[in-house]
Amino acid sequence: MVPENIRIKFHKKGRLIYISHLDLCRTVCPAMIRAKIPLWYTEGFNPHPKMVFAQPLPLFVESRCELLDIKITEPTPCEEIAKRLRQALTDDLYVEEVYPAKAKFQEIEYAKYTVCGDESFADVACGVFDSEHLTVEKKGKSGTVSTDILPQIKSVQRTGEKEFECVLSASASSYLNPMLFCKAIAEKAGIQDGEPDVRIIRTGWQKKDMSEFR
Amino acid sequence: MELEKILKKVSKPGRYTGGEYGQIIKDKEKISARVAFCFPDSYEIGMSNLGMRVLYHSLNLMPDVWCERAFSPLPDMENEMRANGIPLYALETFDSVKDFDFMAITLQYELCYTNALNLIDLAGLPLRASERDESFPLVIGGGPCTYNAEPLCEFFDAFSIGEGEEALCEMVRLYIDMKKSGRYSKKEYLRELSHINGFYVPSLYEVEYGSDGAVSAYRPLYPDVPEKVVKRIIGNMDKAPYPDKFVMPYIETVHDRITEEVYRGCIRGCRFCQAGMVYRPVREKSPDTVNDQIKCLYENTGYEEASLLSLSVSDYSELSLLTEKLLSWTDEKKVNLSLPSLRADTFSKELMERISHVRQSGLTFAPEAGTPRLRDAINKNVTEEEILSACRLAFEGGKNSVKLYFMLGLPTETEQDLAGIAALAKTVVDEYYKCEKRVKGKNVQVTVSCACFIPKPFTAFQWDAQDSIESLTEKQNYVRGLITDKRIKFNYHDARASRVEAALARGDRKMSKVLIEARKLGMSFDSWDEHFSYEKWEKAFAQAGLDMGFYANRAIPADAVLPWDMIDIGVTKAFLKREYDKSRKSEPTPNCKEKCSGCGANRLGGVTKWCPKISE
Ligand code: SF4
Repeated sequence: MVPENIRIKFHKKGRLIYISHLDLCRTVCPAMIRAKIPLWYTEGFNPHPKMVFAQPLPLFVESRCELLDIKITEPTPCEEIAKRLRQALTDDLYVEEVYPAKAKFQEIEYAKYTVCGDESFADVACGVFDSEHLTVEKKGKSGTVSTDILPQIKSVQRTGEKEFECVLSASASSYLNPMLFCKAIAEKAGIQDGEPDVRIIRTGWQKKDMSEFR
Repeated sequence: MELEKILKKVSKPGRYTGGEYGQIIKDKEKISARVAFCFPDSYEIGMSNLGMRVLYHSLNLMPDVWCERAFSPLPDMENEMRANGIPLYALETFDSVKDFDFMAITLQYELCYTNALNLIDLAGLPLRASERDESFPLVIGGGPCTYNAEPLCEFFDAFSIGEGEEALCEMVRLYIDMKKSGRYSKKEYLRELSHINGFYVPSLYEVEYGSDGAVSAYRPLYPDVPEKVVKRIIGNMDKAPYPDKFVMPYIETVHDRITEEVYRGCIRGCRFCQAGMVYRPVREKSPDTVNDQIKCLYENTGYEEASLLSLSVSDYSELSLLTEKLLSWTDEKKVNLSLPSLRADTFSKELMERISHVRQSGLTFAPEAGTPRLRDAINKNVTEEEILSACRLAFEGGKNSVKLYFMLGLPTETEQDLAGIAALAKTVVDEYYKCEKRVKGKNVQVTVSCACFIPKPFTAFQWDAQDSIESLTEKQNYVRGLITDKRIKFNYHDARASRVEAALARGDRKMSKVLIEARKLGMSFDSWDEHFSYEKWEKAFAQAGLDMGFYANRAIPADAVLPWDMIDIGVTKAFLKREYDKSRKSEPTPNCKEKCSGCGANRLGGVTKWCPKISE
């Protein structure tokens, strides 16, 4: 049988925000075995199950829309896969939905985040387009470079007193880390040492035409 | 919350967050006693420890008891915790260990003593047991180091001696019963605990010292307190509780795989080896039990690697049958088997073939000594021909690297024995090039790794002196100088750390002063090379007014009272003495399979594999 492409949408929250992407990858593999998912293994010298994540999630960021593609070798109802995975994982990695993978991850252009901080932080964030630039210093191999990240910010919208939603570039060629964005806002807001005390939640994905990616 | 903030500042915060799949969560309302099982080393090391997994499982089998986990925070986390007033907490609930009924600390190696004390301190408890009243948890020690727990006596309320699966449950049960009936006071409880087999309550014994400063006598303070504490063993390994699932760490730990204990004890009687004595008698699990447990763990963990664990796996009496059973399903499920601790003399072609489609972590042998004479003296009964034939098999199987483990400073060692180490390594190199069926075009790589001999309690060499640091260093240089072949790599252990280890291993109650000083100096993680500081240890000993050499480098007279004499491990002192005498004559002792040499461990009973039954 031709292996079937299956997409798993899951949350990463609670204690899991302290777990790196690399460790998450290591965690998922045994969970698939526990859940008896009929995984398709790559052929060759060191066979391993084929698993592809849409995008790594930075440390300390929560998500309600992580996507993971797997290939399965036996037809299994999506609802059944979801049910078994929920049993094989903790609630901090809650499997929301399982469905056939149609759209390609390359079509992802933007990621949407909800940021909860304090009022003044939200004020500064929502006024970000009042300036012409938002520069950040990035430490690289060849010293520090300043980059203007404003072009990578698609929109910022107030959603509550202390809360806003932002849409940031998240394609292979242009990716803005939400932590970096919040750091830049914190510096602008004059927060000491630039470490914002915020909660960041990735909530969804968008294509180039701003339609939802799933 | 403060904790959330500091977790964002420290390295690998996943060490401190728990919440793993497989952790045990209970309803606090239905719990009568809470145990914080503390491992005095990092999360990565502790989570790989089988003993901790087994005891976590055993304790949590009791519906009214909840056992949680805690580990030593690394220095960056410790600093943040102290700066923010966060005491040691358990990973399941984040509840402070101070509010638990028991703080159970496992003592796996001497150099973790500073971490053990640090854990007690971080939990917010006074270090000394005598300064802790009813409001604090009872601090219980367990694990291999408790066979001589004297250096830690002041800090622990009691020690569980021997295997803990049943003993710890009885300990908690007594506590619950006394609490429920209103009979409980810490004092009364500890007194009653001392009546349960396998519990050593140090405050119920007094120790006397002679004019030379050595222990001259010890006695229980009350007639109902046993004069000797007999270690506990599990009678029937097929019926012993074994975890059906593991807590699955999110972060990478030392061993992320299924570990399955195949048997306990060891038929070999290496005269320097404490494990070989204290885990006797040999009790095996049946191949069916092992196979079923691994299968169950595979389904519940999803790990694709299983490792058979025991002191010397190839001595398992039914290894062929077991591998057959395992290979009947592991291949298909893509589960890799690994068999560490294979012995050269049992490394047969048949075994090699069976595990050839099993991933193996490089080839290691532990001849321990360089000449047949010294190998006989330490009772490491492996011949050069056995080592070479095992190497040959491995070379034919495509391997080109071998690791050889040795010990320097063994009793009766001569210059010739040291030269033998270099010679043996060279012979292995030559063997490679003699081997026609080797994979051509590659060079061989032989690694010689030399540890320092440490006299340990409950071994035939417990009376022997450790070499001085100068002498050990000289020997290291000597052996290194003899190794001229580029294909031989030479590694050795820090003689200074071995000296501290020896002093702690043979320590008495006075040693607690040193540990208090060590705590004052802020020492921790001494088993990590980057944190170990010999200068600090010297300072701690000096400030305590004790001489490290007295404990490490003194030969103890055969008729002396030993600090650990109140513990009975089954193996008798008379047997150890016989072994000592034989070692001076370089006389080997047959292993238990060949012939029982009357070590005394069979007195403990249980379903043993090789021991003669004792007549009542
Ligand atoms: S009693 Fe005999 S067979 Fe049993 S462990 Fe001791 S020496 Fe070996």
